[in-house]
Amino acid sequence: MHTFKINYWFLSSLLISCFVCIPLIVIGASLFHDVSGYYQLLRETYVYTYIANTLLVLTGVLILTFVFGVGAAYLTSFYQFPGSTFFTWALILSFAVPSYIYAYSLTAFFGYFGNLYSFLTYLFGPSDYHTLIPKVDGLLGSILSMSFSLFIYVYLITRASFIYQSQNLVDAGKIMGFSNYQTFKKIIFPSARPGIVVGLSLVAMESISDFGTVSFFNIQTLTTAIYDSWIIFDDIATAYQLSFFLIVIVLIFFWLERMSRSRSKFYMPTRGYEAINKIQLQGASAAYASAFCLLLFTCSFLFPISQILLWIIQFPDNINLAQLIELSVNTVSIVILTTLCLIALAFFTNYGMRISKSKFLNAVTNFSVSGYVIPGVILAVTLLSFLSFVSEYTNSNWISFLFSGSIIGLVIAYCVRFYSLAINGIKSGYEKLNTNLDDASYLLGYTKFGTFIKIHLPFLQPNLLLIAMLVAIDILKELPITLILRPFNFETFATQAYTFASQDMLEHAAGPSLFLIIFSAIFILLSKKYILKGF
Amino acid sequence: MLTIALSTASVHAAEVNVFTARHYSSDVELYAKFTKQTGIKVNVISGDAKALEKRIVTEGTRSQADVFIDVDAGNLGAAQRKGIFQKVSSPLLIEKIPAYLRTDYWYGISKRARIIFYNPEKISETIAKQLNYEDLASANYKGKIVIRSSSSTYNKSWVASLIENNGIEQTSKWAKALVENMARAPEGNDRDQILAVAAGKADIAIANSYYLSLMLSGQKGPEQQAAAKKVKLVFPNQNNRGTHMNISGAGVTAYAPNKEHAIRFIEFLLSTEAQQHIVNTSFEYPIIDQVMPNTIMAAFGTSFKQDTTSVATYYNNQAQALAIMKKAGWR
Repeated sequence: MHTFKINYWFLSSLLISCFVCIPLIVIGASLFHDVSGYYQLLRETYVYTYIANTLLVLTGVLILTFVFGVGAAYLTSFYQFPGSTFFTWALILSFAVPSYIYAYSLTAFFGYFGNLYSFLTYLFGPSDYHTLIPKVDGLLGSILSMSFSLFIYVYLITRASFIYQSQNLVDAGKIMGFSNYQTFKKIIFPSARPGIVVGLSLVAMESISDFGTVSFFNIQTLTTAIYDSWIIFDDIATAYQLSFFLIVIVLIFFWLERMSRSRSKFYMPTRGYEAINKIQLQGASAAYASAFCLLLFTCSFLFPISQILLWIIQFPDNINLAQLIELSVNTVSIVILTTLCLIALAFFTNYGMRISKSKFLNAVTNFSVSGYVIPGVILAVTLLSFLSFVSEYTNSNWISFLFSGSIIGLVIAYCVRFYSLAINGIKSGYEKLNTNLDDASYLLGYTKFGTFIKIHLPFLQPNLLLIAMLVAIDILKELPITLILRPFNFETFATQAYTFASQDMLEHAAGPSLFLIIFSAIFILLSKKYILKGF
Repeated sequence: MLTIALSTASVHAAEVNVFTARHYSSDVELYAKFTKQTGIKVNVISGDAKALEKRIVTEGTRSQADVFIDVDAGNLGAAQRKGIFQKVSSPLLIEKIPAYLRTDYWYGISKRARIIFYNPEKISETIAKQLNYEDLASANYKGKIVIRSSSSTYNKSWVASLIENNGIEQTSKWAKALVENMARAPEGNDRDQILAVAAGKADIAIANSYYLSLMLSGQKGPEQQAAAKKVKLVFPNQNNRGTHMNISGAGVTAYAPNKEHAIRFIEFLLSTEAQQHIVNTSFEYPIIDQVMPNTIMAAFGTSFKQDTTSVATYYNNQAQALAIMKKAGWR
C-alpha cells in the first residue's frame, strides 16, 4: 500500500510535467521537417538580421537593467537619503507596466505632433520642434521599453543578496581603509554577483521572447521572424526551427543562472547575518542618490502612467465604462482561476518530487520548465495542433469542444506558459524545508496529505503568496496566447489595448492600459512585503 | 467558469460567430443593429487576421466560425486557398457588389484607396495631379518619399497590383528605385507616414485614403488635425488605369455551423444602413452607390478614376510582391 501511494504521487506529477513538455517536443520533432523553398530564400537573406537584432536588443537591455537594477539596489540597501524608504518599494511599481504599454507611451510622447510637441508649443508658441525632438522608437525604443519594465528583476534579486550579506564583510572593508567605492568594488559587488546574474538571466529570457514591443516598433528579431514565418509564409516548420534557436540561447542563460545559484549558496550565510547599518548620505551625494532613484521611478512608472492619463484627459469620449467593467470581470476571473490552478499544480509536482525523490521526475520537471522561453505565439499553436491531433486520432468532438477557444483551453495554455515560474518559486521554498520534518510528521501519525496540509502549507505560506502574486501579474500582462486562444466575446485588458494599438487607435488603448496597470499595481502593493523579502 | 466555456462553444439556433480583423469600437453598434433586425445574436472574436485564420484552419471541421472578415484582398485570397471559405449563392450580394470587388467565396464590404499624400509647399498641385505610382521611382524624388515596411499587407497588395499591370521585371526595377528614393528606412504605420510629411521630414507619403480624414476629423486631437491640414492628397494614375483600390471583405467559412445566418449577416453589411455606418466611422468608401462617402472624405472628390483590376488577383502576385520588395532592400 505504501509503495502504491508513492507511485500515485509520482505518476501524477510526471503526467503534469510531461504535459507541459508537449510544446517542446512538438518543436524538437520539427527539426526533421522540410521548410518551404520560398522561405529558404528569405532565411538566407534575413536570418542574420534577425539574430543581430535579437542580440542588439538583448545587449542593450542587459546593460541598462544592470545599471538601473544594481544601482538602485545598492543605494537603497546601504544608504539613507531623502526618499530612500519610499523608493525601496515604489520602484517595484514599474513591474506593473508591460513593456508594450511602455512602448505606446514613448510613441505618445516623442512621436510627430505628440505630447512633447504639444507641450513645447504650449510653452513657447508654434514652431518647428520636429528637429529638436529625438525620435525614440525602433531599436532604441524597444531597448528602453524593455529596460524600464524589466530592471525590477535585477533590482529585487540583487537587493536580496545585498541584504543577506554579512555586515562583517562591509566592516572588514572599513578596517582595511577602503572607501565606499572600494568596498563596493572589492567586496560587495563580487559577493552579490551570483544574484545579479540570476536577475539578468531572467531579464534576458523575458527580453528575447518579447513580441509586443518589437512588433510595435517594427524591429525584426527572432520572435517576429517566428511569427512572420508561421503567419505570413504558413511555414510552421521554420517557425518551430527558429523557436529552437531561441530555446538554445535561453538554455545557455538557464545554465549560467544555475551555475550562479549553486555558487551563491557559497556566499549566503544560512543563518545569523547581521542587518546592514545604513549609512546616512549628506549633501551632494544624498542629492545624487535621490536624483538617481527619482529619475528611475519617474521614467519607469510616472512617465507611462502620465502619458496614458493625458490620453484619457484629451479623449474622454474613448473611455467606455461598461466595456472596462466587463474587461475587469474577464481579466480578474481568468487571473484568479489560472493562479489557483497553477499554484495547486506546482505544489502537487513539488510534493511529488519531494516524496518520491526520483531523479527521473526531477529531470523531466527541469526540462519542462524551459518551456518558459517558447514565444507565446508558438506555444498557443503547438497546443492547438496537439489538440486537433488528439481529436483526429480519437475521432471525438468533445476534446476540441472542451478545450479549443474555451476558458479551459486558455487556462491550460497559461499553466504551461507560467509553469516554470510557479514550480521554481515553490521549489525554492521547499528547499529551505528540511526533509527530517516530514519524517517527524509521519512518526506523529500524519498521512502524506496531512503532512502537506498541516506542516508544509503553513511553512510555505509567504512563498506561496509571493509566487501567486507574480503569476497573477504575469497573466494580467500576457498577450499573444490570450490573443489566439480566447473564446468568443472575451477580451482582457491586454488584448483590448493591443487590438486598439494595432489598429492605429492608440488613444483608445488608454482605458484598458490604465486598468491593467492599476490592477497589477494593486497586486504588487498587496504583496510588497513578500516581494521585498523574497527571491 | 465551465458553463461559460460550454455556452461559448455550443451551437445555438439564433446566433452567428464572426471572426474579424476589423475592430472599431463602433462595430458593436453595427452588430447590435443586425441583432435588432433579425434576432440573431452576433458573437465576435477580433484580432490579428492571420492568427484568426490559423485558428479556423487548425480547428478544421470543428471550427465555430461562421464569418471571417479581413481588411485586405490579398489576405482574403490567401484564406480562400487554404479552404477557409465556402461558395455561397446570394443574388443580393451579386447584384450589389461590382464583379471586380468579389469572388464566389468572399465579398467586398468597403473600399479604400492607396494614395499619395504630399507637402504642397514642396510639390505643386499641377505636378501632383499628374502623378502615377510609376513616377515614384523618378530620380526627382530622391530622399523624399516615406512608406511603411514591406511586410504591411497593404503594400503587398499594392505592389501585387503593379505586377499585374506592369509585369515582374518592370516592378522589380521600380521597387529598387523607390527604395533609393526613401527619406528613411520604413517605420511606423500609415498615419506616421502622413505625419512625417506634415512635420517636413519628407515630401511624399504613400498611405491608405482614410487616415487623413481620421486626423482631419479631430479624433486624433487638435495637433494632428492641424498637421493634417498641411498635407494634401492626390489620387494617382488618373490619366490611365486609375487609383489602386483594396477592400475589407467577408466570407462564409467552410464549416460554418450557422451558414444561413452568416449569409444574412454579410448581406446586412451591404445594406444602406450598414454601409452608411461603415463609411462614417472608418472613412472608407462604400461598395454600394446609394451611399455617399463621409463628408470629409467626399471633399477630396468622389468621381476619381478607380483601378478596376480584380481584387482577386492580388493574392496571386502577393508572394512575388514580397520577394521583389525584400530583394530591393525594402525593410
